[in-house]
Formats: sequence, structure tokens, C-alpha cells
Amino acid sequence: MEVDYEAFRREVTEFAQTRCPPEIRAVVATYRKLSRKIWQPWQQILHAHGWGAPSWPKQFGGTGWDPQQRHIFDEVMAENDCPPQYHHGLRHIGPVIIEFGTPEQQARFLPGILSGEDWWCQGYSEPGAGSDLASLRTAARREGDEYIVDGQKTWTSHAHESDWMYTLVRTSKEAKKQQGITMLLIPLNSPGITIRPIRTIDGWHHVNEVFLDNVRVPVANRIGEEGKGWTYGKFLLERERLGGANVAPALKNLERTRELVAQELAGETHRAKRAALELRLLLAEAELRGALALGKEAVAAVMEGRPLGLLPSVLKLSTSVTHQHVAEVAMDAVGERLAPRFRRIDGSGPNAEAPGIEWVQNYMYMRVRTIYGGSSEVQKNVIAKQLFGS
Amino acid sequence: MPFTASPLVGGDAYEMAQRLALEVDAELSALSDAGEQLACLRRHWDAIAGLGWMATMVAEDAGGAGGDLSDVAALACGAGRGGLPLPIATACVVAPALLAAAGARDMLAQVAEGAARICVILPDAAQDPGATRLSFDRTLEGGVVGVETPPDPTHLLLATKAGELLLLSVDSPGITRSLSMRIDGRLAADWHFVGVAVAQEQVLARGIADQADRARDLGALITCVEGVSAMGAIIEQTIAFLSDRVQFNAPLASYQALRHRVAEMYVEYENLRGLVAHALREAAATDALPWRDIALAKLRLGEAGRLVAHETIQMHGGMGLTEGVAAIRLARRVMMAEFEFGDRSFQADRLLAQVA
Ligand SMILES: Cc1cc2nc3c(=O)[nH]c(=O)nc-3n(C[C@H](O)[C@H](O)[C@H](O)COP(=O)(O)OP(=O)(O)OC[C@H]3O[C@@H](n4cnc5c(N)ncnc54)[C@H](O)[C@@H]3O)c2cc1C
Repeated sequence: MEVDYEAFRREVTEFAQTRCPPEIRAVVATYRKLSRKIWQPWQQILHAHGWGAPSWPKQFGGTGWDPQQRHIFDEVMAENDCPPQYHHGLRHIGPVIIEFGTPEQQARFLPGILSGEDWWCQGYSEPGAGSDLASLRTAARREGDEYIVDGQKTWTSHAHESDWMYTLVRTSKEAKKQQGITMLLIPLNSPGITIRPIRTIDGWHHVNEVFLDNVRVPVANRIGEEGKGWTYGKFLLERERLGGANVAPALKNLERTRELVAQELAGETHRAKRAALELRLLLAEAELRGALALGKEAVAAVMEGRPLGLLPSVLKLSTSVTHQHVAEVAMDAVGERLAPRFRRIDGSGPNAEAPGIEWVQNYMYMRVRTIYGGSSEVQKNVIAKQLFGS
Repeated sequence: MPFTASPLVGGDAYEMAQRLALEVDAELSALSDAGEQLACLRRHWDAIAGLGWMATMVAEDAGGAGGDLSDVAALACGAGRGGLPLPIATACVVAPALLAAAGARDMLAQVAEGAARICVILPDAAQDPGATRLSFDRTLEGGVVGVETPPDPTHLLLATKAGELLLLSVDSPGITRSLSMRIDGRLAADWHFVGVAVAQEQVLARGIADQADRARDLGALITCVEGVSAMGAIIEQTIAFLSDRVQFNAPLASYQALRHRVAEMYVEYENLRGLVAHALREAAATDALPWRDIALAKLRLGEAGRLVAHETIQMHGGMGLTEGVAAIRLARRVMMAEFEFGDRSFQADRLLAQVA
């Protein structure tokens, strides 16, 4: 059946504008930190409309949309300040369970992800295993129907508000590090789990350390085969890389920063500074327009079943840096009056923070763009390896 | 032997300031309660006042030590390596310079002995867009925001655009404030003035706009000294981190991509260090402040400092996003320095106006 993409875009736009509660859109529009409190009700609204899982096949409760429709959906959502859907269940572990899970696992886990009842986090990174994830050491040994898990995960985003953690653990010490890794689904209320917040430079709480001390996990919570976890983990990370094809949030961010510069630096006194910042935004826009075009190429490639090649790495590298440039412009616009007001000491209540302080937090937070999801250096290694053929 | 930065101005005062700054940093980073942090800052403020830091530049006949800029630079150098979150530049050079310009000897003596804790508001202090502009015509109206302050300030020293210098007690009727911590952990206050009556004797001087500019430039120079010092420490600590951290079975320090980035940080740092050292020498040699050198140095600090801060964050990976790493706390200090005593566009405007 032919899809009328223009009609589809109109339908999604109408939905976004009428069904996404203003208080949720306001959070997105002002860069306040998204949390389960914001995401969950939004997921419930989408789910009730049958749009809970845009990227899942129909038989698992997904929309069955093609890549072009999914792209339009993401774009429209960003344009209208609807939160991007919480990704750990829907975009990460959900597709893995669909691809590699048992029917029992699919029946147990997918509905909770769809409805937003179950909240997931990703326990991959460890203190000693970041870019070199395969060197992870958190160990699981088999005891009857259970694994006993011991070790530590770190940088675990949202662990403090999650119910479950999908994680990679070591079940044997093979010569090749990638072998002997197993994927487990662990309920975070299991005895032996301690979650500690990490204080980050943006002043938000999003990452945690997760300590696992003799945590018992049923073998039934293992994805696929023992020792094949790396394959499943890679499958998931590959999907994460496609996220870069959605340039709409970056463009939205740019537009908003333009408004900020115009307001903050209105008038004759600030003319030179305003012009300098506007030029930097123009350069950022040029880069983003390029990325936008590449994103469309990526979607077309997926539609036609062609391989993506280096596109995801190129998109990730360029958009992450442009995001940072735009955030720097915003910081330069407001820094003198807002960077000093990072944390209020006296004064309390809901309006305790200086209005607009999110620009400063966002600038700090944006540094992570070139670090997580495959750091810039790692992406460059990937690109160079392919370009040089070795 | 890995790189160790040599101070712009060394010596005993430098060593002592560095020890103190590192102690304060260790103490503060173990605290998470704002009240406790505040108390800690106050304690250390009293300590440096007791050590005579604020008396350094005050003339001997006004109860000071009669030192010069290089004596303060030595302190700033040491303090900069630990990111000491106290307003060194304002307390040691800006306030004394303004008070000296006004011939306010009593107040200078109080500053020197640490009895007065002065928050200085310069003519270009930030204001919220849309807020009532700061104005002075017998009474003071309006507000300024994000002004760096010592803990528990006793006085406001306010230089107006018209060149007046006002000294007000912070408890004067009509003055309210709210206190914040900056991104670098220093204190800042927003001040609001509603019909604040200013008596004749509270106007310390008139027609001192040029001296106020000069005081700001002195502040900028000392900020550059601190910034250079912090950047040197950041580079040392980045090298140490990369040498220790192993990924893919090799220390990160063995990857050429990262080595080159550290080399770039170093080149930026050295270039700025050269410029700031030059400005310090010029300032010592002549009575007229080398404002152009200072403006250029401050301009470069904005660029080079940010590069060094961003790079150290990047090379620390996830650790680069945490407050728990000393190099990252220093990076925030350097990021903040850009907005003190005139940011890049402020300096560029002055420099270009001269060309035109
Ligand atoms: C805010 C935030 C949220 C996160 N959320 C999660 C999460 O939910 N779940 C999870 O599992 N993880 C999460 N992470 C972890 C993230 O994936 C890691 O930080 C990332 O993989 C980098 O690892 P690392 O921090 O150990 O840095 P390292 O790997 O130690 O890297 C340090 C520096 O060295 C560079 N480098 C590494 N190897 C090479 C090389 N071979 N050549 C050249 N340069 C190299 C890196 O690019 C980086 O600049 C999060 C991190 C942050 C900061």
C-alpha cells in the first residue's frame, strides 16, 4: 500500500499539537531535565493512541511504520517540543527482546515498555570499561536456575528511577574479550543492588553508579544464549547510531538560541556582539542543513534496504559538535548574568532558580554529546579505518 | 618526566597560596550542603585576610603592606592551581584600587585588616533584560545580578557609569539581595535597590570613571594570571589521567590522537602565558596600565581557556562530566573567567573602537 507521507505528516502534527500537554512541552522547550515524571504520562498518551512504539512491528504492539514514517514522526515531535520517547525500553532493549527474546520474555516485558509501566536503564559501562566496553568485568556465575552477579556498573542513566536494568556481564574468561559476555535483565529492586548518584557538572541528576553484590538473577532473564551477549549488545548499539539521522531537535535548538540572542542582546549597545553570535549560528545552521540532508539520505537508504556505511558515524560526529557550538553561543549570550547564578543558596520555592539557568546547564551537559554513544575519537577511528581500508 | 607548569610568579607566597587553595578544594569537594560550603568559604576568607592577602596592595601609610602587582600575582598564581573559590582579584586589587583612587584611607585600613568584606559593583555589572536599569540620583534604584562577592559581605562599593564611587552598608534600607553559587563554586549576589537613600559622605568620590576602568583592567589581569595557572594545572592533570587510564589494553596516553590534543592545549597555554607575563612586566614597568595588552590577554583567555577546558572534559570521557575530578573543577573556573571583568566581545569592542 502506498503511504501518503504528506497526509501522515499532517496527522502527526495535529496529534502533537493537540494531545501533548502544554506543561510537558514547556519542559522540553526550556531545556529542563526530562525525567520519568514527564516521559511516562506522554508514553501513556501515545500508547492509548496506538502510537506507543513507532519502531516496532505490528504483532508486538508497534505501529508497523516504515522508516520514512518513523523519521517524519520524530521530526514532527521535535518541531513541536514533544519529548523524544524514552529510549531505553522502546529503542534499545525492546527491539533486542523482539529479535532475540523467547516468547515468554516477549509476553513479560514488551507490554510494560509499551504502556510506560516498566522503566528501563542500560548497565553497560563500568569504571574500567568505557570506550573499550568488551573489557567489562562484572561477573555472573551460574548456580542452578540462577546467575549470581557481582561487580559495578557506572554512568547508568536513570537507574534511580528505573525498574529494570539490561546489562552485559562476564560469564567466562575467553581469549577474545568479546566472547564470554552475556546479556541479563535485572530487576533493580533485587537484594544486593545499591544505586548511588554521580554529581555532574550540569547540576542535574541523571547518572548513577550501580553496585551489584551477589545479586541473584533467574536464568529466565537471560537474553539468547550464554556468551553471545556481545552480539545482542552490538545489535542494540547499531540501532542507537541511527538516532543521529534526526536533526530536527538540533534545528529547533538553533532556532531557540537565535531568539535568545535577539532578546538578550537587543539594542544598539550589543550590536557587535549580537552580530558575532549570529554569524556563529549561521555557520552552525549550514552544518545542520548538511546533516539534515544526510539524514534524509540515511532514511532513503534504509527504505531501499541499502547499507548505511559510514553515514551514522558522520552524522553523530558532526551533529554532536554543532550541538555544542550552538550551546556555546547561548552561553556567550547569557553567561555573564547567569553563569554566576548556577545554584541558588538562599531563597527557596519553585522559583528559586534564576529564570533561564537551563541555558547554562545545557551548555555543560552538551559536552557529553561527543563522549557518549561512541565518543568522537572512537567514531573517527571507525571512519578512518574504512577510508584507509585498514 | 611529564610536564610540570612553572608559575608566572613563584616564591613563598605562591607556594603558600597553592597549598591553601588545594586544601580548600579538598575540603569543599567533600561537602554537599550549601550552608556548610558557605561556612567553609567564610572560614577560609578569614584565614586569607589574617594572612594579609587583602593588605598586599594597600599602601603602608594606610595600614597595608605596600606591595605591588607581582605580589598579588604570586598569590593568584598559587590560588589558581587549586581554583580557590574566593574573589582574589576583587579583594586584592579592584577594591583597594578604587578606594585608593577615592582617598578612602579608613576604609582601606579596614579592607587591609579584613574587617570589611566588600562586594564591588562595576559600571558594566550585568542586569537582567527588562529589569529596571540601575540609576543613581541621590537615591539608588534598580538592580544588578551575578556580582561576585566575598562571604557575608559588609559593604557595597559601587562605581556608577557617571564616575561616582558609592560606599554603602549592605544593611542600608531598601537593599535586598539573593545569593548564588557560580559554576566555579564562588559566591555571587543579585542586588536590588529600591529608593536607597545615599548620603553625601557615602559618595566617596566623583569623576573617577577612568580609575574605575583601570581597576577593572587590574582585575582582568589578575584573572588572566589565575586562568593561566589553572590551565597549567589542567594540562598536568590531563597528562596524568591519560597515562593512568587503560582502554583497549593500552594507556590512553599511547594514542596519538590524544597526544596531539594535549600538545594543542599546551601551545594555547604557552601562548597565553607569554602574553600575560608580558602584560605583567609592562604593568610593573610603567605607571600607565597596559590596557591593550590586558584586553588582548583577556580576549585570548576566553578562547584558549575554553579550548583547554573543553579538551580536558573530552579526554576524561565520562569522568569529564563529574564534579569529582579536580581538573574538571578547574575547567569550570576557567570557563567562568571568561565572564569576569569584560568578556571577549567587551574586550573586542574596546580594541576595535581604538582602531576605528
Ligand atoms: C551523561 C552520561 C550518560 C551515560 N549514560 C550511560 C548509560 O545509561 N549506560 C551506560 O552503560 N553508559 C552510559 N554512559 C557511559 C558512556 O557510554 C561512556 O562514558 C563512554 O563509553 C566513554 O567511556 P569512558 O567514559 O570510560 O571514557 P574512556 O573510554 O576512558 O575515554 C576517555 C577519552 O579517551 C578517548 N579514547 C578512548 N579510546 C581511544 C582510542 N582508542 N583512540 C583515541 N581516543 C580514545 C575517548 O574518546 C575519550 O575522549 C554515559 C556517560 C555519560 C557521561
